[in-house]
Amino acid sequence: MQASLPKSAPENAAVMHFATAESCLEINDFSLAYAGVPALQGLSLQVPRHRVTAFIGPSGCGKSTLLRAINRLHDLNESVTLSGNIQLEGRDIHAPQLNVAELRRRVGMVFQNPNPFPMSIYENVAFGLRLQGRMLKRKRDDTVEWALQSAALWEEVKDRLYRSAWTLSGGQQQRLVIARTLAVQPDVLLLDEPASALDPISTLKIEELIRNLKSQLTLVLVTHNMQQAARVSDYTAFLQGGELVEYGPTDSVFTNPRLQRTENYITGRMA
Amino acid sequence: MIQHLAKNRDEAWPWLSAASVALSLLMLAALVSLLVVRGLGHFWPAPIEEVTLADGQVIAGHAVREAPLPDRPGHERLYYTANRDLDGALWQWVALDTIQTRSTPVELVLLDRASWGDFIGRLVAVVMPNERLEGEAAWQALQQHLNQRNTVANGAPSRAASGDSYVPGDTYLIVESVEGRQRQQPLHVIHRAQRPNAMSMGEKIQTWGSAVWRFLSQGPRAANTGGGVWPAIFGTVLMVLLMSLLVTPFGVLAAIYLNEIAHQGRLTRLVRIGVRNLAGVPSIVYGVFGLGVFVYGIGGSLDEWFFSDTLPSPTFGTGGLLWASLTLALLTLPVVIVATEEGLARIPDAQREGALALGATRLEMLTRIVLPMAAPAMLTGVILAVARAAGEVAPLMLVGVAKLAPQMPLDGEFPYLHLERKFMHLGYHIFDTAFHGEDVQAALPLVYATALLLVLIVLVLNLTAIFLRHHLRRQRGN
Amino acid sequence: MTPPSDTLNQRLRLARDRLATGLITAGGIGVLLAVLAIAVFLLWETLPLLRLGDTLALAKLTPLAWGTLKAAFYALLFAVPLALGAAMYSALFMSTRLRHRLKPTLEMMEAIPGVVVGFIAGLIIAPWVERHLAGTLLLVIGLPLSALVAGTIWHHLGTRLQRTLPLSWAGLWLVPWFVLMIALAFWVTPLLEQQLPEDDLRRFLDKQWGIDYATRNAMIVGVAMGFAVIPSIYALAEDALADVPKSLLEGAQALGATRWQALWKVALPTAGPGLFSAVMIGAGRAVGETMIVLMASGNTALFSASPFEGMRSISAAIAIELPEAAPGGLTYHLLILAALALFVFTFLVNTLAEAVRQRLRRRYRRLEGHP
Repeated sequence: MQASLPKSAPENAAVMHFATAESCLEINDFSLAYAGVPALQGLSLQVPRHRVTAFIGPSGCGKSTLLRAINRLHDLNESVTLSGNIQLEGRDIHAPQLNVAELRRRVGMVFQNPNPFPMSIYENVAFGLRLQGRMLKRKRDDTVEWALQSAALWEEVKDRLYRSAWTLSGGQQQRLVIARTLAVQPDVLLLDEPASALDPISTLKIEELIRNLKSQLTLVLVTHNMQQAARVSDYTAFLQGGELVEYGPTDSVFTNPRLQRTENYITGRMA
Repeated sequence: MIQHLAKNRDEAWPWLSAASVALSLLMLAALVSLLVVRGLGHFWPAPIEEVTLADGQVIAGHAVREAPLPDRPGHERLYYTANRDLDGALWQWVALDTIQTRSTPVELVLLDRASWGDFIGRLVAVVMPNERLEGEAAWQALQQHLNQRNTVANGAPSRAASGDSYVPGDTYLIVESVEGRQRQQPLHVIHRAQRPNAMSMGEKIQTWGSAVWRFLSQGPRAANTGGGVWPAIFGTVLMVLLMSLLVTPFGVLAAIYLNEIAHQGRLTRLVRIGVRNLAGVPSIVYGVFGLGVFVYGIGGSLDEWFFSDTLPSPTFGTGGLLWASLTLALLTLPVVIVATEEGLARIPDAQREGALALGATRLEMLTRIVLPMAAPAMLTGVILAVARAAGEVAPLMLVGVAKLAPQMPLDGEFPYLHLERKFMHLGYHIFDTAFHGEDVQAALPLVYATALLLVLIVLVLNLTAIFLRHHLRRQRGN
Repeated sequence: MTPPSDTLNQRLRLARDRLATGLITAGGIGVLLAVLAIAVFLLWETLPLLRLGDTLALAKLTPLAWGTLKAAFYALLFAVPLALGAAMYSALFMSTRLRHRLKPTLEMMEAIPGVVVGFIAGLIIAPWVERHLAGTLLLVIGLPLSALVAGTIWHHLGTRLQRTLPLSWAGLWLVPWFVLMIALAFWVTPLLEQQLPEDDLRRFLDKQWGIDYATRNAMIVGVAMGFAVIPSIYALAEDALADVPKSLLEGAQALGATRWQALWKVALPTAGPGLFSAVMIGAGRAVGETMIVLMASGNTALFSASPFEGMRSISAAIAIELPEAAPGGLTYHLLILAALALFVFTFLVNTLAEAVRQRLRRRYRRLEGHP
């Protein structure tokens, strides 16, 4: 998988394809359009396993759209048309016989604004577990505690597990949502600007959490905070206008971008 | 003075617009206070006046109201004199200038009788098989008898059976109207006896309370001009209950379909506007539909298939509880759909996506996240539907309400709930008693009380809905 | 980390989801079809009329249609000025605290069952007005005038009093003032009436101009039904006025317009369609209302525009005659035709109002700068 995939790209779009680690998610020539208006065009990239990959780019570049496509959240919108494919562990996620619910369990997603359910903290984390069928209460309790610990929230909430999740602060809520997602043991965790609605201290906690989690699973992070991408990600993809502009190890993308467009964006000289 | 405003017309308009608010509020307040005063005042033991007129006639009764004399200046007063068996009428107008003396003697009694309505006059004697009591002793004995009978009726240990001297059939009263005509009244026709002029405030309040309770808990008497409205309350509640059982699942189902499942295109938008507009279609049209489709259509067919032995007298092919509930369910369907849809639309998509992202199927997302969150909105819708249905009369006139239902729709006889029976309804009770009663004047106080009851029920339901909605908005707010 | 996978459970969940989606879809469509069935039924049951071909029978419906329109007209005559006035006042002048209380109060007013309003109107107010006709008519002119008088007095009050009785609360403190004025009107009219040759306005009207006065008449229906439709007109009109972008009003006032001018020149033209749709909704309600007309109108099928004479409306005729009409007979089909007419009329009126409101909402969004 060392060879870069050929692409009928314009001369300035020298996209680098690589895979230092084994890839977990493969996106091949993927395009998506809302009611005929293209949002993503011919995207191809591979997301390496147990690493943090960041998607950066200006607003409306399609980075969130791509993330939502990986979770098939566009299913609810009937005006969306797709082409190309996305493969999770070598299986096309749009295959007709694929169970969407199972796909979404394996691909967890955390949104920009914390969206805890209107129930207790415990029930929020146990929500996904209850969907998977019967489970001994002891085992469920253990999983909930493990998930909360993984999300670095256990110490803060262990005394009020049965209070409403809406009583938590914004940062705690976001970590609760991450814990909730971890509880069903996904292979991939998609994070859509998870810290953009939070204060700096909560942001730092989330970033630390992201770094710690990569030993357990593959993370994909969408952010428009360049520093954040530089701080937490191993690989960075720069998207613009629905196309992939540059993709590579974060260090090289940030310190030595191959394209002028990337450099302009990173250094804040956007037109 | 007006000149100032005429010159500055712009300053006049705000006052006129303020006046419209004030007038609307005034009308509402007047209506409600009229209902409260007349509705509750009827049960108050009003004093009985004994009036001597210029021509020597003596009458006794409650003063009801005054009006200008039709033929000469001055006013006349309406007295409720009861004693229909003696006078042939319950009421008497008296010109104020013909009144010589007025007094409120304490010994005047008001008897509530099983026939001929009330009696107002004096108690002369209580005649029992072995003794005859007069004066104060007679009053004491009467009260004792009535109390004993009430305890027996209430299922307390029967003293009559245990050999006590209480034998009601043989005892009778001798009563006398204020102008001196005497009558004998068997004790068993007397429901209650009171001496309003002799009552203390506490006794009056107690009498008032028990009168209100009788109004709520007893059936109508004397062609709906007396007694209570219990069957109408029961019929209204049962009908509304059945209706909400029907409308809730279907309304919620339709709302979920429209909001969560249907493709959000032009057609769905049209359907949504259509449903919204159905809320504005007159209720009588639903009544026509109920009569044509439910009663004549479905009911008629049911009769042919299952009840052909009783034809031509219809079983389901005539108005009844089931058809009325179905018709009102259809009528209130838009209310539930619109309220539920609003509740569903207010749930952020983030909640739905959050559930889906955890691997929930659409059904799981709906049942575990969306529906619990929309529950208060649904409840609001159902309460509003119930409030609307409770006050709706016009369609019921077509599909099954009765002025006096001989049997309750719920009884101890199999199958207990008789969906085909006609039922009584508070709203129709008001209409019928007020417009088709024999003696409207006599029925009026009860109509007021019934109207007050209906308004209270509807207002309490609406207040609950408003409170819930308010609470809901606040909850979403933070 | 491998997930706890239970394929049987997975398949079960999926099947349940498909089944439920199907059921909800079927149920939802079924309910919507049932609603559609109303129109289909009404149409179907009117078809036999074509076969009967008895055009004369249609003449039976004309006085009913007339009565319906007459009742609705008098109701709107009473309700529209009051409701729109109240809406303007509460959107522009009223204190927010009072406004938050007023809206639910008027919602309560809307909830009062028609049968109760009809009872009060037909049995209490109608005979009373008959006895106090002159006083009642005096109120029609007197009350607005007295509001102006109150306004004038207010302008001459000291600032302290003006502050305790602010215009923003006038909707409330004018109530006792009106009570006073109404009492005054009924104290004064007998004296005025004595100046008439007949000593009584009713007899005077009859002798002088041959105007009949029926106890239960269009005026009573107008007031009673107006009472019932004020809240719905008010609610929609208030929404339309309150949603007028604040920047527009402030802009006008910054140019030196008074608050009333800003309302008149800017808010009203902007919210005009909203007010129109509010009146339409009110008209729809007035046309279909049954119990109030039935109880307060005298129920006589007359061709007369006089506010002092009764009428019979379509809805009242249906309520009374349909249960007695033999199914399949001419009267039965005619009454169903009448119901169809009501249905079509109210449905069209409501659709029009809804369409106008939606367009207005889009206009507001544009005015506020959203695309």
